[in-house]
Amino acid sequence: MDEQMISCTIDGKTITVERGTRILDACERAGIKIPTLCYLKDVSSHGSCGVCVVEVEGAKRLVRSCMHTVMPGMVIHTHNQRVLHARKLNLELVLANHPLLCTTCERNLNCELQALSQQLGVRTSRFPRTKKKFEEVDVTSASLIRDPNACILCNRCVEVCASMQSVSAIQMVGRGLKTKVATFYDQGLGNSVCTNCGQCSLVCPTAAITEKSQAQQVFDALADPSLVVLVQTAPAIRVGLGEAMGLGEGSLVTGQMVSSLRALGFDKVFDTQFTADLTIMEEAYELMHRLTHQGQLPMITSCSPGWIKFIETFYPEQVGHLSSCKSPQQMFGAIAKTFYAEQAHLDPRKIRVVSIMPCTAKKFEAGRSEMDSSFAYWKEKLNLSEVERFADVDWALTTRELAKMLKQVGIDFAGLEASDFDDPLGASTGGAVIFASSGGVMEAALRTAVEKLTGTVLQDVEFASLRERKGIREAALKIGESTVKVAVANTLSNARVLLDQIKAGTSPYTFIEVMTCPDGCLGGGGQPIPTNADIRAKRAESIYEEDRSKPIRKSHENPAIQDLYARFLDQPLSPMSHHLLHTTYTKRVVYPLD
Amino acid sequence: MSDRHTAIQEIVASHRTERGALLSILEAVQRSSDHNYLSKEELVLVAKELEVPLSTVYSVATFYAFFNLKAQGEHVITVCRGTACHTRGSKPLLTQVLKQLNLQLDEEGTATTDDVRFTVHTVACFGQCALAPVIAIDSVIHSRVTEQKLSQMLQSLLEGKEVS
Repeated sequence: MDEQMISCTIDGKTITVERGTRILDACERAGIKIPTLCYLKDVSSHGSCGVCVVEVEGAKRLVRSCMHTVMPGMVIHTHNQRVLHARKLNLELVLANHPLLCTTCERNLNCELQALSQQLGVRTSRFPRTKKKFEEVDVTSASLIRDPNACILCNRCVEVCASMQSVSAIQMVGRGLKTKVATFYDQGLGNSVCTNCGQCSLVCPTAAITEKSQAQQVFDALADPSLVVLVQTAPAIRVGLGEAMGLGEGSLVTGQMVSSLRALGFDKVFDTQFTADLTIMEEAYELMHRLTHQGQLPMITSCSPGWIKFIETFYPEQVGHLSSCKSPQQMFGAIAKTFYAEQAHLDPRKIRVVSIMPCTAKKFEAGRSEMDSSFAYWKEKLNLSEVERFADVDWALTTRELAKMLKQVGIDFAGLEASDFDDPLGASTGGAVIFASSGGVMEAALRTAVEKLTGTVLQDVEFASLRERKGIREAALKIGESTVKVAVANTLSNARVLLDQIKAGTSPYTFIEVMTCPDGCLGGGGQPIPTNADIRAKRAESIYEEDRSKPIRKSHENPAIQDLYARFLDQPLSPMSHHLLHTTYTKRVVYPLD
Repeated sequence: MSDRHTAIQEIVASHRTERGALLSILEAVQRSSDHNYLSKEELVLVAKELEVPLSTVYSVATFYAFFNLKAQGEHVITVCRGTACHTRGSKPLLTQVLKQLNLQLDEEGTATTDDVRFTVHTVACFGQCALAPVIAIDSVIHSRVTEQKLSQMLQSLLEGKEVS
């Protein structure tokens, strides 16, 4: 027998598994799904809840199946009386200090604690509350709300923040009954190194971390007849929203999404993909300019707002590597309230721009004080005063918030007929679609830059090595005489690897794409819960399917973009482009000293 | 750079390569501080010099009861509130100390005078139950304390004398 394979007995059944297999996974192979609460595959194995216990013959105590691996000859019982009793007891202990306010909770019907109580048949909590005080809710962040009262100390958020993102804004603080997840000195996420990525909200089993919802503001705007409310949808929404509306994982719902937004009452349904194509134009030309003018290289993409705050905070000396391009969300806001306002003869003060984003950091980005180029554009023309100041993007909702709005209104999502985006800010190419997937911005930029640099038509537009499902990917391209190396990183811990290379002077790359979230925006912190590796893979498939189905796949061939340049912006990197589509960055500190 | 910053740099440098360096560093920083505590600024300096997240330093500093995050008085009075001491009257003793020093215990069960001369706090048990009630003053345990005895000791401390 292969030495790597070992046998064990699970509920009387002998099974063979690889050495190093978790008991939990071995049981699943034996047809038993062990309930878990704090454990989350690929993310966290903390062993704090004790819900996944099994009995192992010869062991003094019950064993946490998420923490231990199978040993040769192990005899495991997964559901005898002792095990079932212990699981229930452990869950009741967790519930003792939980608010149990399910009906009015943000995560009602999408809560692991609630689902598990149902699954294990816990109907009452026999134990009295032991925590004496109610903890203050942290509302300091523009993107996220943390309610320690709903927290069950599973450690998942701490783990993703530390391991996946290498940020560590939060940690377990205190001990015993006073233990809680907190920022340094409990100063709040908004006053910490938090990048607003929201991966913590995606893995939280309860409502201890949720997005700061702006759905009510949007409902209010939709109800105000004096306003023109425009909506833009990020590429990743069309492969995420369906899940939240009860359709299959990764289902592609572009047409229904557009119809549902129209049904909600938005005056125009536009596409962030339009400005994704615009981003590619500006970014590809910026790259070519840096290449021909000895600019700072490697140039790094700037679409992902969590990444922006990360580099501003942890590598402020390297912000010069960032492309000066605003993200597609912000380019949309700036164009909607200038070019579109003029075209449609609208008073920019009466326009509201709502974004639907797979992202919690987009809320922070929309609120950045420098993101008001459209106001600057109109200030002199309309003789506006400072009190009339408006932002380019008014509100950024997550996929989850939109799904809740649709459900609240009662729209039959699955039964909607598909419809198309409005013109002119709704037209996009395949290059824009793939922004949703890690490697997509790079691929789209190369589709344009390679063609412009070589002066020949690019036949094969798909870059296979940029689509491998790895945290860091690279590709080497022959452009004329020279070879250009590019790299793609997703998650901030992977981005850190590439930044450290730049810091050490060993980076071999000319151009780098960074996305904050695993597999890119389709795995964003604002996407439906659950989001995991399998689901992300299905969303990615749908994204590449949408790309293939687009008649035009190169951003520079988008006729609406060509028209925008002809009528308004002049050309990429023009003074008007710089004014509306480019930005500057802020240097921040990790260790604030007064 | 402040003197304190230089001192912390030296402490961090001397422990940097150790496993679990953070714990030793925090201990050394607290011991070398004026009022036996870790200030917020000192925690930031430790994190910066050791290149670890602020949240990690805060997590460790709040986990161990040994670390103080508030200035500790020149004299520390520890009143045992264990069962044995309670039955032998530790509560009136605690009330007396607080009244005499004009203090009120906070949520954590400690209080320090504004002039940082006295800190009063309670413990669950010293393990000296046979000698109950016990009160420790500057780490010296005084047994079978009476209100009269306590009053004298406090008076001596207030007058700047040693407690016998």
